[in-house]
Amino acid sequence: MKVLWFHLMPYPELPEDFRAKHRSVWVDLDSGLLDPAIVADSYETYLDQLVHAEECGFDGLCVNEHHGNGYGLMPSPNLMASILANRTSRAGVVVLGNSVALYNPPTRVAEEMAMLDLLSRGRLVSGFPVGTAMDTAYAYGQNPGTLRAKYYEAIELILKAWTTPEPFAFNGRFTKQRWVNIWPRPMQQPHPPVWIPGGGSVETWDLCADNDFVYAALSYYGHLVGKEAMDGFWATVEQAGKDDNPYRAGFLQFVGVADTDAEAYRLYREPAEYFFQRCLHFYPGFVDPPGYSSEASVRRKLKSAVRSAAMKTQASGGPSWDEMLERGYVVIGSPDTVREKLIDIARTLHVGHLMTLLHFGNMGDELARHNTELFGRKVLPGLQQLWPDHTDHWWPANAG
Amino acid sequence: MPADPARTLIYLPGLAGDPGSSPALAGLEDGGWTVVRPSLPGFDGESGFRCPSDHLGWLTALWDAVDATGAGPCPVIGASVGGMLAADLAVFRPEMVTRLALLAPFGIFDEAHPGLDPYSVPTPARLEPLFAGGVPEAFGRRFAEKGEEAPVSRYLSDIAAASLIWPVGDRGLADRIHRIRCPRLVLWGAEDKIIPVGTAGRWGDHTVIDGAGHLLEWDRPDQVGSALREFLTP
Repeated sequence: MKVLWFHLMPYPELPEDFRAKHRSVWVDLDSGLLDPAIVADSYETYLDQLVHAEECGFDGLCVNEHHGNGYGLMPSPNLMASILANRTSRAGVVVLGNSVALYNPPTRVAEEMAMLDLLSRGRLVSGFPVGTAMDTAYAYGQNPGTLRAKYYEAIELILKAWTTPEPFAFNGRFTKQRWVNIWPRPMQQPHPPVWIPGGGSVETWDLCADNDFVYAALSYYGHLVGKEAMDGFWATVEQAGKDDNPYRAGFLQFVGVADTDAEAYRLYREPAEYFFQRCLHFYPGFVDPPGYSSEASVRRKLKSAVRSAAMKTQASGGPSWDEMLERGYVVIGSPDTVREKLIDIARTLHVGHLMTLLHFGNMGDELARHNTELFGRKVLPGLQQLWPDHTDHWWPANAG
Repeated sequence: MPADPARTLIYLPGLAGDPGSSPALAGLEDGGWTVVRPSLPGFDGESGFRCPSDHLGWLTALWDAVDATGAGPCPVIGASVGGMLAADLAVFRPEMVTRLALLAPFGIFDEAHPGLDPYSVPTPARLEPLFAGGVPEAFGRRFAEKGEEAPVSRYLSDIAAASLIWPVGDRGLADRIHRIRCPRLVLWGAEDKIIPVGTAGRWGDHTVIDGAGHLLEWDRPDQVGSALREFLTP
């Protein structure tokens, strides 16, 4: 199994009464809460943590894109990825990713991803999320009713820009370009691996299964909610007549390792509560604009009791620490406990890429490094041995 | 009995669609008017709705829907998003519109009066700010006849309305309303939270209806109905 170190880069100093005094961490967040000096220091610390993760043996380093929020300070993950490309030499640089429907023309994404692939000497994984409703429909003003169609078209254009040797004309519904001929082209041929971050929409399963893209399930609500999404994905893969190579899929998991279970319970409570109670404090009005979910996904959501329970808890003040653990939102414990649990999750969900969040919320640098080192020494080797009979066709050849 | 062409009008509803005749429209029907409702894509909540790519796509859908009714030339009443479409009908197909009544139309966005983004209101409460006097019962029953499918139909219908005005309800009408040649009536609710009455002046002469919100024909049916009757019967 490939194990990745994922950084959300949250703003670390949202006030304790944030939930009571502010309606949302996203879209209309009070800029008075933001101290640029804290962000500058955080960027430096967070980038060092990612570099450190490579030193600790992680296979890949993940960054992602969000807008207008205190939950993740990366409107441009490509800026962060370019620094990582330069400061690291082995790990995959996993950009999860660029919300391609936001860019006009999306050719810009094809160009920047090509640059990142070259800067990293062929270590790029290129992620194409639809993007959250808050990022796309509200912060970037995209019509949710046409967002997904625009997204599909953008992926088509990017793949064509990477792989078509001659200049070509693109006459899409949303993007029209008479001359597409990007320079430079990616180092990986025909193109870097494509991963699609998803939250359980039916169309994303189809997109991944039909095109042999990796489905990277980014649920913060643990493997129980994740299982619904992964089961749906694997059923779609089977219907498409494709093999069940676990490397077709990835799963995100919060993890906290300590010398003992009891110590882990003590150490990781505060940063986990910060994340679930402040970083996920969304105003419900910004979550589901008309059209963001497709008709099929609306039907599925209406039937999903597990998802509905998670959303209700989140809306009513966020889960308690014990609820987070009981529901598997956060996996904590001694190295043995964590390894056993993560192997069980990987096998249950049948995933070959595990994206770990070992820094979350307002976790201090010292604890994040301790978590990463302990995981790297005592958990990682056991996980990397999983799935020995399968080949990862979705991993850059130049990444170690 | 076939409708009297001289007493036929077209009505284009606003956000939240058309859950049956408002008392204001019912009053016109009682007065002998035949109200024709073109069926715009998505507003019927039917499965398989594909959102038009842009405003021109919506206008094309509108032309098709209007032509399918066989009505016109005739008066056109448009409310909210329907007002925006009605105004463009009068701009681009002036031969179809003999008189134009606009009830708090979208189409011109005034940054000085941004109003409330109706799609930033959580779904269960989204209808409330459209009215000054509470959500009429007819809207509470939207698509109730579809049973378990009702939430899906409501969602699809909302996609249609939202996509007409996303991200702000401006589709360049300020640059072309000078082309409207037919007689025009503009009514606006004094308590419109969605498009505050401060925007109304951008449409020229207008009448403000006290105690009315965005969907003013539901909030103040008597005043709106009376103004419409007077306007339609010169």
